[in-house]
Amino acid sequence: MFKKYFKIWWMMSRNSFSAVLGQKLALSMFLVGKIFRFIFFFLFLYFLLKGTGSLAGYSGNQIIFFFLTFSLVDVTTQFLFREVYKFRPMIIKGDFDLVLVKPLNALFRVLMGGADVIDLITIPPLVVLTIVYGVSLHPMMSGVLIYLILLINGFLIATAFHIAILAFAIVTTEVDHAVMIYRDLTNLGRLPVDIYKEPLKGFLTYLIPVGIMMTTPVKAMIGSASVLGIIIAFSAGILSMLLSLKFWNFALTKYTSASS
Amino acid sequence: MRKYLQIFKISFEEEFTYRLNFILWRIRNVMQIFLTYFIWSTVYSDPAKQIFGYDRTKILTYVFGIMIVRALVLSARAMDVSNDVASGNLSNYLTKPVNYFKYWFTRDISSKVLNLIFATVEFILLFLVLKPPFLFQTNIAVILAFLVSIIFAVIIYFLILFLLSSIPFWIPEIGWGSHFLVTVVIVEALSGSLFPINILPQGLQSIILATPFPYLIYFPVEVYLGNISGWALFGGLMVAASWVGVLWVFLNVVWQKGLKVYQSFGG
Repeated sequence: MFKKYFKIWWMMSRNSFSAVLGQKLALSMFLVGKIFRFIFFFLFLYFLLKGTGSLAGYSGNQIIFFFLTFSLVDVTTQFLFREVYKFRPMIIKGDFDLVLVKPLNALFRVLMGGADVIDLITIPPLVVLTIVYGVSLHPMMSGVLIYLILLINGFLIATAFHIAILAFAIVTTEVDHAVMIYRDLTNLGRLPVDIYKEPLKGFLTYLIPVGIMMTTPVKAMIGSASVLGIIIAFSAGILSMLLSLKFWNFALTKYTSASS
Repeated sequence: MRKYLQIFKISFEEEFTYRLNFILWRIRNVMQIFLTYFIWSTVYSDPAKQIFGYDRTKILTYVFGIMIVRALVLSARAMDVSNDVASGNLSNYLTKPVNYFKYWFTRDISSKVLNLIFATVEFILLFLVLKPPFLFQTNIAVILAFLVSIIFAVIIYFLILFLLSSIPFWIPEIGWGSHFLVTVVIVEALSGSLFPINILPQGLQSIILATPFPYLIYFPVEVYLGNISGWALFGGLMVAASWVGVLWVFLNVVWQKGLKVYQSFGG
């Protein structure tokens, strides 16, 4: 089963890569844009922390590591789930019918049907940078392990969000802004959620678990997360996945196949 | 003039066609402010702290100022021009007795009015919730200078959008790519939307200030704060006016050349 789906994913990704690589000028513009945006925010943090020394009780390197962890989760989910951004026309035109009749899990197709080569290019340097800054914090082996597990938990929550967005698109035909709102919300995780005041901080930690996705892994690694916080993080990961799948199944019952 | 008034009205009503889209767009604007607001609120948690030439009141006024200035300057519809050019829809306008530039400028103004109304409501709500210290500018001369800088910013952004939208005359497939690079990335980074340009080192500041981008957000807000005055203000306004002139001449040349190669594919 896993082998079959991996083969299909690889095939769909290759098609998607070919389509993007066929438009080299557009690809280079998006790539330059993404790199420029990353560098500029990085420089902003660097000069800000040069002036202030620390932020919300975290050192300069710790703050940059928070930002790199955010970027890693953000870029990887965009790489895997780029197809979500193209779901609206499928719903509006009724082309989703063609997905439903195929002997393939429909959710898998619309969630992972078009990996983004532009994001793939940016992942390796980002991983290297994250390792470099992570090592500079001198973490313990157990800290690194829990960081990685919580990072996977963060990806799980991000996946749940994308499934919920797809379900929302079926129910309302609106996806463009929904996915951008998700991006804006996760953008609040560029820095530790500790900088926000209540109730926004609680909202970002528990209701829309941006903090759990991006802040908790780093806090666990540097030893400032509690055991209870880590348990809550894993519970949020499992719960968000269960809820989003439930929402997806509900949304499928509302699909009207309009315009087809 | 009357026909542009009608375009204004139709365009204004059109914005309400996709209400959910519009509301979600406004929610996005509010959320973007949160990150900026809380970064600076954390940095300046001590009201007596003064770094980068700002104190808590001035920096939080800067953040709230961004909300209004963004609505006035960056709310625009002219990015849709690239689609007209790429799809051949431009032909429909070329045969009508309307000036294409004025048509889109009118649509931009209608978008700005609507966004300004919503931004003002959001401003008041966030102001009541966050209760930031705020600098209410009372100097009439400064307010006038601020308004002049806003007019320049609006025109500069319009010209940038039109120039970008001219690229599909030659390369139709990169309409969105060029908009992403310039309006989503470069404008966001260099206009001062996230932070005041003067926190950067002097050399980098000088380079950025030589581009038209800081005159969209950073310069007007700095003028409002009273941080730029006297000859520096006059000089800044002259640079903004020069950018209007340069971009206008450049757009006219590019647009005329573009029309010559325009083949109305799909139109």
